[in-house]
Amino acid sequence: MALCNMMSVVRAAVGGLAGLCRAHGHQRAPLQSCLKTCAAGLKTYPVTPDYSDVLLPEKPKLKFLNKVPNLKKAKKEHKKLRDIQGPAKLANSFTSGQYAIVAMGGGYLHWGHLEMIRLTINRKIDARTTFARWRINAPYKPITRKGLGQRMGGGKGAIDHYVTPVRYGRLVVEVGGKVELGEVEHILTEVAKKLPFPAKVVSRESLEEMQRNQKEMEENNQNPWTFERIAHGNMMGIRRVLSPFDLHNNGRFTGKFHLPGRV
Amino acid sequence: MAATLCMKLLRNQGWAPLVQSVRHGSKAVTRHRKPLHIIKQKLLAVTQYIPPARVVPPGAYPAENKCVQEDAGLSLLLKKDLKKVFEESKMVAVVQKNGSNAEDMMILKHRLCKHGIKVKFFPNQVTRSFLSDSVYCNMAPLFIGPTVLFVSKEPKVKEMLSALRASPQMTLLGACIDNTLLSAQGVVSYSKLPSVTVVQGELVSGLTMLTSRTASMLQHHPARLSALLRQYVKQQSPDDGAEAAPKAEAAT
Repeated sequence: MALCNMMSVVRAAVGGLAGLCRAHGHQRAPLQSCLKTCAAGLKTYPVTPDYSDVLLPEKPKLKFLNKVPNLKKAKKEHKKLRDIQGPAKLANSFTSGQYAIVAMGGGYLHWGHLEMIRLTINRKIDARTTFARWRINAPYKPITRKGLGQRMGGGKGAIDHYVTPVRYGRLVVEVGGKVELGEVEHILTEVAKKLPFPAKVVSRESLEEMQRNQKEMEENNQNPWTFERIAHGNMMGIRRVLSPFDLHNNGRFTGKFHLPGRV
Repeated sequence: MAATLCMKLLRNQGWAPLVQSVRHGSKAVTRHRKPLHIIKQKLLAVTQYIPPARVVPPGAYPAENKCVQEDAGLSLLLKKDLKKVFEESKMVAVVQKNGSNAEDMMILKHRLCKHGIKVKFFPNQVTRSFLSDSVYCNMAPLFIGPTVLFVSKEPKVKEMLSALRASPQMTLLGACIDNTLLSAQGVVSYSKLPSVTVVQGELVSGLTMLTSRTASMLQHHPARLSALLRQYVKQQSPDDGAEAAPKAEAAT
């Protein structure tokens, strides 16, 4: 029994010594290492995107667009408002850039708008990492105006200025390069707000998503009566109040406006 | 100027001609939203989009395919550490620390180090994801709030409890000792248990009690034995009568 007691005492002594050594080891380290406040979660840093395959063109900024097209003889044109009507068939998908401003309505862009776009974007983007491209032409459609105080009659007025017609769904400018949407979004929204038609900033993925959503809506519409069905079948003689334009566009557009949520 | 009444005839042969009488109204494309004919308004109202009916409201059930995020490097490392800790140690106690300074912590650590109990810090998110994969999934509800792990190879519960009693801000939530989950009261009662050797000894003594008692009795002086037996017979006699008495006499 006495031997057992002695052994336990020796063991305690050894343990104490070891503890002291360990305690000294802790004391050597700073006070802060004793108390570690762990956050509930763990911050994970996402991997930065790889831009090695992105080619930057030589002239990254938007080029200057003329106010007036250089024609020998400028011809006056009909008003032809149908170039604003309906959805865009040309330039409604991305080519070289990643982010763009897309028109959500129809309208005319004149030189003042184009200058505003050009100056804002050229001033704000970093030419080393970003580039921008026009997706619309320089103004080519002549708009005539009569002088102030003129009475009706006396022929068509003189050409006042030129405009570019833009339809719904057309891309106005494209921006790309070694940037993410967040870096470029504020510049593009600034421009989009000043356009004469409602406009939106999109990326490739968000544009695809918009188109996909529209298709999905068309597919899973629970309403057995659709505009297309009634208009094409001329049910109730509805063609009396519809135009051929409505037939093509199935009630999604009225004039230059796009009606959202229509299928 | 132009006639007030215009007639338009579509060139397309297949279609019925559309006769439109325009009285210098606005064109088709206007700056304002043109007021629609009432019948067209009705048509647009009838042909509105009706989404598919949802059986379940959107937020009722959790998403079926939850996107499982892959663990980043640091959390993988921490999980490896955790795994090692759980494998090596017999006792893993979860203690909640509320408002203790580094100084108090250091003192506590010093006290626990003497008995070989280590103090470990792990983020709750990592611990919970590790526990959900491992056997110790029922420990997951313990890891809420600022928690600290006390690990040791030997289950030295008494020393740990005494050290925790000294620091009032540390609350014991639960422990996993020898692969058994114990609550705080369970830990206290575990500490009050005698050691294994003591329990074994008690068990052995309990089993051999009868034989040992008989052996000790037989080792007494025979006179004492006979006296004891006579006493026993006297006690039995009110119950049995004279039958027990000759038997007892024969035995002595």
